[in-house]
Amino acid sequence: MAETEKHAESTAKGNQPLAIFAAVAGWLVPGLGHLLLGKWGKAIGYFLAVAVLAVLGLRMRGDVFISGGDAFGMLGFLADLGAGAFYFFAHAINAAGPDVSRAAGDYGTRLIATAGVLNLLFVLEAYQLGLHREARS
Amino acid sequence: MPNHFEAMVIFALAVSVAFALLSKQSTRERAVYFLWAFLGFMAVAIGIGWLMYPFSR
Repeated sequence: MAETEKHAESTAKGNQPLAIFAAVAGWLVPGLGHLLLGKWGKAIGYFLAVAVLAVLGLRMRGDVFISGGDAFGMLGFLADLGAGAFYFFAHAINAAGPDVSRAAGDYGTRLIATAGVLNLLFVLEAYQLGLHREARS
Repeated sequence: MPNHFEAMVIFALAVSVAFALLSKQSTRERAVYFLWAFLGFMAVAIGIGWLMYPFSR
């Protein structure tokens, strides 16, 4: 009886460490969380989707938000931060920096934010897959 | 550097792929979803572009 309850409890909780590890890995490098969970196809698709949007946005000289601005700036920062490595290496990808005086720069800002928000969705999925894996075994 | 239309096409491609992988399980379902999402993005963007054209001058 106690064993059954224990099993039910662990099933409900899932494998938290694996889920958190996959989520953090997926945030830092888009798709890496899925790669660690053996989802190769999704990992490649997710990495390409985020990489294409982030690199294109940066090359179009989109703005990369930093923390400490107003409410909209903060939302932009959180969205951009979602892209993980692409956020931290933004300056290396586009050393010229942002230029939102042209429409292209403004579009670039949206592409970078989209890359970050998409990656946050992928991170949530990686977390859920990590939890689910333990529940099956 | 891509022009605005090319950037929009690349955006639609990337987001459609991401949504198809996230929301569907089989390859066939994903392909159908991707196609509809991509065409939807393009149709809406071009449609709104045409609607705004009279106000651009």
